[in-house]
Amino acid sequence: MPHSVVLFYSASGALRAEKLLKGEGIGVKLIPIPRHLGSDCGICLRFDDSEETRVRKALEEGGVEIMRICEI
Amino acid sequence: MAKVIDARGLACPQPVVLTSKALVEADEVITIVDNEAAKENVSRVATSRGFQVSAEEREGAIYLHLTRAVAEPRKASFTPISGPTVLLVASDSLGWGDEELGKSILMRSFIHTLSEVGPKPNKIIFINSGVKLVVKGSEVVTDLRHLERQGIEILACGTCLGYYELKEFVEAGQVSNMYTIVEELLQAGKIISF
Repeated sequence: MPHSVVLFYSASGALRAEKLLKGEGIGVKLIPIPRHLGSDCGICLRFDDSEETRVRKALEEGGVEIMRICEI
Repeated sequence: MAKVIDARGLACPQPVVLTSKALVEADEVITIVDNEAAKENVSRVATSRGFQVSAEEREGAIYLHLTRAVAEPRKASFTPISGPTVLLVASDSLGWGDEELGKSILMRSFIHTLSEVGPKPNKIIFINSGVKLVVKGSEVVTDLRHLERQGIEILACGTCLGYYELKEFVEAGQVSNMYTIVEELLQAGKIISF
């Protein structure tokens, strides 16, 4: 299953989003930002590509600002 | 017979490189150089290797007579590191500091990355609150199972599981005891611990 990751402006944003998305029943995994996406030591949430619409919607409604979503 | 190195016209660090090599093979070396810097550099390396140095200038060249002054020191007994690499996880938080950073971010990131990249440890031992990582509800159980499937042995301290009343909830690795843990650590070639 192809994955995407959603990047945030802060680690606390990522943690907040994780809680929110898990609450919505969306399977996400907190992982370090893949090397090819950035050199800083950040974290992001990985999810199945098919969930992108739900992820965007849930985060928007939950008021968690995202930096970007990238396929990995 | 002295070994002769004609280092005239050679750029730094060639005179030193060639001489160094010769010093390993011979007890007496004559290095011919054509400048003061090379003379000093070669002399320094020879001295440091236990050679006596005498310099002689002849026809615009410097002849450095290098003679082994002391017996070559016996090579330190060297045992190559062998044995498995063991990762010892003694806490459910990575590092000391903020708990959320250590548990929710760093430990999860670490175990995830461990399952993705190599080389991997041969064994991972969980003790004290580290055992909370191998039980139901732990965010890293999936990664640990993935590591197990790749042949990495995972051991969790039975005493610790008992203490935290988590023995029935183990979802990755085997429950182990202090004898095995001590043996694994003592037999390890390398221990990574935090």
